[in-house]
Amino acid sequence: MDHYLLKPKGSKVLLLGNEAIARGALEAGICFAAAYPGTPSTEILEVLAEVADECGINVEWSVNEKTAFEAAYGAAISGVRSLTAMKHVGLNVASDILMSSAYSGVEDGFVVVSADDPSMHSSQNEQDNRWYGLISHIPVVEPSSPRDAYKLTKEAYKLSSKYKVPVILRSTTRISHTRMPIELEDEVFFERKCKGVFRKDYERWVLVPGNARKRKLELMKTWKTVIENEGREPFVSILNPGLKKAIVASGIAYSYVKEALDLMNALDKVTVLKVNLPVPLPVEPVKKVLEYADEVLVVEELDPVVELQLKSIAQTLGYKSRVIGKSVVPENYELSIETLYKPIADFLGSPAMDHWISIGTVKTDPPIPPRPPILCAGCPHRNTFYILRIAANKAGLKNPVFTGDIGCYTLGYQKPFETQSTSFEMGGSIGVAHGLSKSTDNPVIAVIGDSTFFHAGIPPALNVVYNDSNVAIVVLDNLTTAMTGHQPHPGTGVSATGKRTRRILPEKILEAIGYDVTVINPLRVKESVSIVTKAFENYRSGAKIAVVSRMRCALEALRLSRKKNIILPVYHVIEEKCTGCMACIKLTACPALILEPGEKKPRINPEICAGCGLCATICPYNAIEVKNKPSMNWETTWWD
Amino acid sequence: MKNVYSVAVVGVGGQGLLTLGSILGYACMLSGLDVSVGEVHGMSQRGGSVIVHVRIGRNPSPIIPVGGADHIIAMELLEAARYAHYARKGGVLTANDFIWPPPLSNYPSREEIIGKMKGKELLFYLFNANDLSNRIVGSTVSANIAMLGFALGVDQELRSIVNIKHVEEALLEHFKGKVYEVNKELLHIAYNEGLKHAEKK
Repeated sequence: MDHYLLKPKGSKVLLLGNEAIARGALEAGICFAAAYPGTPSTEILEVLAEVADECGINVEWSVNEKTAFEAAYGAAISGVRSLTAMKHVGLNVASDILMSSAYSGVEDGFVVVSADDPSMHSSQNEQDNRWYGLISHIPVVEPSSPRDAYKLTKEAYKLSSKYKVPVILRSTTRISHTRMPIELEDEVFFERKCKGVFRKDYERWVLVPGNARKRKLELMKTWKTVIENEGREPFVSILNPGLKKAIVASGIAYSYVKEALDLMNALDKVTVLKVNLPVPLPVEPVKKVLEYADEVLVVEELDPVVELQLKSIAQTLGYKSRVIGKSVVPENYELSIETLYKPIADFLGSPAMDHWISIGTVKTDPPIPPRPPILCAGCPHRNTFYILRIAANKAGLKNPVFTGDIGCYTLGYQKPFETQSTSFEMGGSIGVAHGLSKSTDNPVIAVIGDSTFFHAGIPPALNVVYNDSNVAIVVLDNLTTAMTGHQPHPGTGVSATGKRTRRILPEKILEAIGYDVTVINPLRVKESVSIVTKAFENYRSGAKIAVVSRMRCALEALRLSRKKNIILPVYHVIEEKCTGCMACIKLTACPALILEPGEKKPRINPEICAGCGLCATICPYNAIEVKNKPSMNWETTWWD
Repeated sequence: MKNVYSVAVVGVGGQGLLTLGSILGYACMLSGLDVSVGEVHGMSQRGGSVIVHVRIGRNPSPIIPVGGADHIIAMELLEAARYAHYARKGGVLTANDFIWPPPLSNYPSREEIIGKMKGKELLFYLFNANDLSNRIVGSTVSANIAMLGFALGVDQELRSIVNIKHVEEALLEHFKGKVYEVNKELLHIAYNEGLKHAEKK
C-alpha cells in the first residue's frame, strides 16, 4: 500500500518520466502491460509490476520485445487497453509485428512506448524511432518533458481508441530519466476493462495478400484523417501566431527552445510551433505558421523528421518561406540549451551573449584519467573472463575469437580481459560466431548473458548445430538481467510481480538441441579452469560444447548478504609477502585494488572489496588473504 | 532567486548520486518549487563517471550547460576536477575528501587536485563525508546524505531556496524507521559542519 504511483487525484508527486508514463497509462485504463527491459525504458514496466496486484492488472517481463509487443497487441485486439515498452533498438526486434499491427489495427487503446537514447548513454546506436511511424503509418506522439509525458500518454490512448490504430509514444533519455513534480489529474482506482472479447474477422486479422490489400487502403485513410484532423492541442500548439519568424520545436527540443528564448527576452518575438505529434505532421497548424512566417527554424533532436515533412508541405502548398533545420541544429547526440543557444540567437539576430561563464577546466598533473564504466568489484564476469582466457590457453586454442553480446559483460572488451571482440545486438554473439567459424580458421567462442540467451540466443544456437559450425557457447548466468537493474527472466523462476513460475535452465535447452554442456561455479577459479580446459579440448576435437557459468550478480549478492546478515570475506594485502609484481591489478582490474601515487604495493579498499577472492587466487606469492571472519555459509550468497 | 538555480551532482556510479539528486528534487517540490532532476541509468552507472543535473526553477530544461552550475556537489575528488568546468565563475564546489581511482590508471594526488581547484574563481569546500558517515551510520553508505547536508550548510543561496526541514522530510521518501532516524542525524551534523565552514570563509 501507499505506493507513490497510486496517490490520489490532486496529489503532487516527484516522478521519473518513465513513472509518469506508467501513471498516465494506469489513468487511461490499461489492464495489460508487457515489456523486455532496456535502458532508458525499463522503469515503465518495473513500476507497473510493483503496483500490478493492487490495481488488478496483468504485468509481465516478456522474453523479448517481439513477444512483449505481441502479448500486448493480443490484449488490444480483444478490446483490453494495453501497453508495451522498449528501448529504441528493441523496436527493431518487434518491427515485424509493428508493421502488421498497423494494417489490422486494434479494438481499444494500444500504446507502444519507444524510449530512444540520443547520445547513446547506454546503447549501441542512437536511431531516431520517429521514422518507424513513417514506415508503418502509425502516429507518433512525442512529449517535451516528463510532465508532458504524463498528459500525452493519456492523449495517446484516446487517439489510439478513436482511430483504432496503435500509437507510438516516443520518449528519449532526458524525458524517461528526468524527475519532475507532477500534479495528478485523475484517479487510478476504478472498474477497469480487463476481460476482452475476440471477434473473429478473417478479413481483418488474417493478413493474407487479398486481405492486406484492403487493409492498406483503410490504413491510409486513417493516416490522412490524422494529418487533417489532429493538428490541435495538445498535439500541436501555436504560441504568438502571425509573426515573420517562426521556430518549430518537436518533443524535448521545445524545452530548450523555450529556455533559450527566455534568456534572450525573445519569448514574444517569434511564433513557436510546439509539436507533440511529429508523425504524421498535421497540415493545418503548419499552414497557419507558413501563412505569415518568411523564415522558419525547425529544432528537433537527431534526424530531420519534422523538417522533411514540413518542407514537403510548404513545397506542395506553394509557400515561399525559407525553412532551415539540420543545416544549423546538430544532428548527432542529444541537444542542450548550450548547443541550441547560438543557432537560435543567429536565427533571431540576437546578440550571442555569454550567459554561462565557466571557471575553466581544472588541469592537473598527471591529467584526470578517464573513467569508463567497469565491472563491479566481485562481478562474476571478471572471474569467468579470467577462467576463459587461461583455459583457452591451456587447451591450446590458437588465437580464439570471443564474439560478444549486449549486457554488463560487454565491458569484457576492455583490458585485461579482451573476451568480447564483437558486440552488435541482442543474440548476435552466437549468430555472428557461426559465420566467423564458417569463414575463418579461428576457434570461435560466443559469450552471451543469461537474459540475452533467452531473448535472442536460442535460434542462432540452433543454427550452429543445424548448419554445423565450430562454435563454443558460454552463457554467463548471473541469475538476473543485471545491466538494466536486475529484472527476473525465465531462468530465475520468478515473474515480474514476484510470483513463482517454472524455472527454465539454459543448460537444459542447450542439451536438448545437441550441445555437451558443463556448468561451472566461477567463484571456484581453479576447479573451473580445469573443467573449462577439458571442455575446450573437446571443442578442439570437434565436439559441440557449451559452458554455463553460474554465479550471482555481485550487486545482488551484496544485497542478499546484508538482508540475511551473512558476513562475506574481505581480503587484504600482506605487505611483507607482497613483491609489488602487480599481477592482481593487471589481471583483474578490480576497482577495490588501489595503488596510491608513489606507492609500490597495492592495497585493497575494504569498503569496496566484495570478497570474491579472484585476486588471492591469482597472487603468485600468496600475499592476499582474508582478514575478517566470514559467515560459514557465505558462499550461498553467490550460488544456491 | 534568478530563473534557474543549477546543482550538478557528480561522482562514481554506485556512490548514491541518484538518491542524492532525488532527495534534493523532492525537497524542492516540498518547498513549492518546480525542479527537474536529470539522471543516467544503465551501462554508465557501472563504476563510470556520472553527472546528475538538478535544475530548480520554473519548468527548466533538463541539462546544465558548461559554466551554468551554481553549485557542484562532488562525491569524489577526481570527478570534482573532471566536472569543475560546469561551475560558473563565483559558483560553489563542495567535494567529498575521497579519491577512488579507476583501475590501472595514473592519477593526480589529492594535494595536486586541491591546489589546482584553489586557483579557480570558485568557493571550494572540502569535507570528509565518508568519515562522518562511517562514524554515524557505521559504513560509507550514507556519505551522499552527509554531502547533501554539508552542501546546504555552506551555500547560503541554496539553503534559502530549499529549507533543511524539507530535505529532512524528503529523506522519508527513501528511508524508514531507524535508518531514517540515523540519516536525519547525519544530515543535521553535516549541515551544521557546513554552516561552520561557511562562516570561516
